[in-house]
Amino acid sequence: MDPLALVIIEALIKSIVVIIVLLTGFAYLTLMERMVVARIQVRVGPNRVGRVFGIAALQPIADAIKMIFKEDFIPANADKLIYVLAPGIAVGTALLAWAVIPLNPPLTIFGYTINFEIANVNVAVLYLLAIGSLSIYGIVLGGWSANNKYSLLGALRSTAQMVSYEVSLGLSLVGVLMVSGTLSLTQIVQQQSMIWNVVWQPLGFVIYLVCALAEINRVPFDLPEAETELVAGYQTEYSSLKFALFYMAEYINMLTISAIASTVFLGGYQGPFGILPGVHWLLIKMLIFIFIFMWIRGTLPRFRYDQLMRFGWQVLLPLALANTFVTAVVLVLLGK
Amino acid sequence: MAVTEPVAPAVVKPTTTNDPQSIADQIKAKYPDAVESLSAQGIVIRRDRLPDVARFLRDSPALSFDYLNNLTSVDYPDRFEVVYHLSSISRGGAPIALKVNVNRENPTVSSLVPVYRGADFQEREVYDMMGIRFAGHPNLRRILMWEGFEGYPLRKNYHEPYYEEEHKPFGTRWDQGHHVIAEDRNPWHDNVQYPPDLDATTYKPPRDEIRTAGIENVSVTKLRTDKIVLNIGPQHPSTHGVLRLKTTIDGETIVAVEPVLGYLHRNHEKIGERNTFLQNMPYTDRLDYFTSMANNHAYAIAVEKLMGVKVPERAEYIRVIMVELTRVIAHMSLLGFLYNDLGAFYTPLLYGLEERELVLDLFESVAGSRMMCNYMRFGGVARDLPEGWLDRCQYLVDERLPRVLDEMGNYLIGNEVFRARTKNVGILPRDLAINYSTAGPVLRGSGVKYDVRRAEPYSIYDRFDFDIPVGTNGDVYDRFMMRFWETQQSLRILKQALKQIPAGEIMTGKKNYQVRVPKGEAYGRGENPKGELGFYLVSDGSPNPYRYHVRAPSFINLGTLNEMAVGHKIADLIVILGSYDVVMGEVDR
Repeated sequence: MDPLALVIIEALIKSIVVIIVLLTGFAYLTLMERMVVARIQVRVGPNRVGRVFGIAALQPIADAIKMIFKEDFIPANADKLIYVLAPGIAVGTALLAWAVIPLNPPLTIFGYTINFEIANVNVAVLYLLAIGSLSIYGIVLGGWSANNKYSLLGALRSTAQMVSYEVSLGLSLVGVLMVSGTLSLTQIVQQQSMIWNVVWQPLGFVIYLVCALAEINRVPFDLPEAETELVAGYQTEYSSLKFALFYMAEYINMLTISAIASTVFLGGYQGPFGILPGVHWLLIKMLIFIFIFMWIRGTLPRFRYDQLMRFGWQVLLPLALANTFVTAVVLVLLGK
Repeated sequence: MAVTEPVAPAVVKPTTTNDPQSIADQIKAKYPDAVESLSAQGIVIRRDRLPDVARFLRDSPALSFDYLNNLTSVDYPDRFEVVYHLSSISRGGAPIALKVNVNRENPTVSSLVPVYRGADFQEREVYDMMGIRFAGHPNLRRILMWEGFEGYPLRKNYHEPYYEEEHKPFGTRWDQGHHVIAEDRNPWHDNVQYPPDLDATTYKPPRDEIRTAGIENVSVTKLRTDKIVLNIGPQHPSTHGVLRLKTTIDGETIVAVEPVLGYLHRNHEKIGERNTFLQNMPYTDRLDYFTSMANNHAYAIAVEKLMGVKVPERAEYIRVIMVELTRVIAHMSLLGFLYNDLGAFYTPLLYGLEERELVLDLFESVAGSRMMCNYMRFGGVARDLPEGWLDRCQYLVDERLPRVLDEMGNYLIGNEVFRARTKNVGILPRDLAINYSTAGPVLRGSGVKYDVRRAEPYSIYDRFDFDIPVGTNGDVYDRFMMRFWETQQSLRILKQALKQIPAGEIMTGKKNYQVRVPKGEAYGRGENPKGELGFYLVSDGSPNPYRYHVRAPSFINLGTLNEMAVGHKIADLIVILGSYDVVMGEVDR
């Protein structure tokens, strides 16, 4: 067979598998969030639909069916094309990031080596940052096109928030790039087989987590969709599947963020001290991150808009810069 | 339960009484022609002298009536009477009543807004409900009814559609079984009275002119500036009901905000005039549906003042226990509700509501209903406590509630985000708080040590040892802390009350469906969790109140919203609103 065709077929299969896993994973993430938050709030949570071991195993499917059958409403004054396009952009950009995340060590079957990332790009980290910047368009366009004041305010907040936190987010990754000397995620993971990057970059790790929370609009940075102020922010006018798509994008972003954090800082599929590398480690690490996100959501109140901006520019950015600077100085002193 | 002697009063009652005679003398000394007549019910002031007298009463150091408790009006056959209840924050004691007679043909009286800014909403309400104009009022428009509404609902000659008769029970409207589907006739059913020349199909409400803090006017139609008008509500997740806030914003900063009320208006006061005195008791539950026991108590106090009955010891203790339990759960829920407004996803609220459920269990076993208790009667309470009730209450008061309250305090008060969001937000200075007639935790949060339980001790509150906590800055944080501290004080009262409660009667006389209320008028008030809840009743000796007015603390507190919110962000507006703890059932009545 033509080697190029083989590569394309392989990439296609991998993409389809990743997308299917992500979309079902998203659905069960909503179930997990509902269960976790319920326990935090002295409630029981969903436990009726398709009950298995006290867990409502079919709840996400019931939710999805309900969502599909809701009225698909487009406001009269909305810009229809953009209004319809925006949720697609949100989900599309959320999925794109998964093209470069290595999920498993390479496997050799019948002399054919399979890499468990869809594309082994040598500038993967740059690619991630670029895709992260794109994801804002879904929110901005959705909020703008709906022609609703709440949506507009949500979109404006979102723009300002993402622009200011992206700088620190990028800088928090620069430290790792300097330590590992590569932009390829595959190589970054392979280098962490014994010692994880978080050991060299603890501050960068924390800054990354905070900025990532702000990037994906989770509590306490969920201002673009602040329920108590802006009703639902940019998604106020959305209903039915379009609403579900925004929801999906949010949860896939959550998965992406935790996958990147695990990959860049916690060794991705590498086990601690090189024990049994494999996709299970990645999943465990991601789950821990996701649980922490849910925990934060269940406990913390929201920042105010101006406080958020101040925190981003006056605290996180100087810290990230200092982290980069110190890393550079140490590397030079060590003669690397 | 051991019966012990009640402890001695902790605080001596204020020495200076607000005696109408001496006050009238002082007014006469200053303005010889101002006083028309004088009775125990109040001092009748000449209409044109009212602003002078009010200013004199407020500014004279000896009198210092700096607080307008209540402003309402009564429709007598020959005249309207506008009634002002004034009291002094520093001196306390029962409020004095000033009255002004207004002729029916051209009912106009000078506005008191320049003297007491708390009169703003109340004068608008009187104008809206009784059609009395207040000369010099800055914004005299309807407040509860819609602009363009025909008639003045609280006038005696006004009959609501469907309720044409004076008193309950009403005769049937269609005695021949005749029935017309009202939608066939007009889109509003015939449950609304509308102006005779109104064409329902082409009606457009008056143009939405927005007040912008007196700086400039921005109208929705000419939106060429960079300010926009955002209608927060009446359907909104955090307006605590159907409240609409007409907000002018510049970016995210608030330029002006005006509460638009009346979406839940049901003419509670008119209903109150059709009901007999006792029939009103369950209606008071629906005022502030979070604190029905406290509403019952205030209403019972007002009617008992008219009837002159004495409440048995045991009933008084039961009442205090119920009211303080209500305060505990209302305040503990607010700790959660305010966090909700701050964006914490229901968690603190659900912890607060869990305790509320336990207390509601207690209410249910004694009153039969969890929220709409309808428990108090004139001269006592409806039922005695069931077996084992006191032990269950004791467990909650001694162990469970203090533990949970401490827990909530530990987690909620120290939170960094919470402090950043609430400190120095929505500051209401002490003077303004008094001048705006705010009450309850809003007033005390601004550093005013005024609590009706101490200022004019009613029931048996003079026997208990408790403090009145006050705030220092008057910001949202202080108002939050007021709820926390007041819950602690309520638990203190509860502990003492449970220890002292005697056995005995729970009701003076026998149970009656119909009480005899002698002719007269009375202003009875109690310290509701939201503030001073007052009932102004006029009885003409018949089974129904001639006038039934509710001084709703949430309603009057809301008047300060613009004052507090201007210059802050939208997010702050929501939090400031949350810190009032408004309940629309009480605001709109």
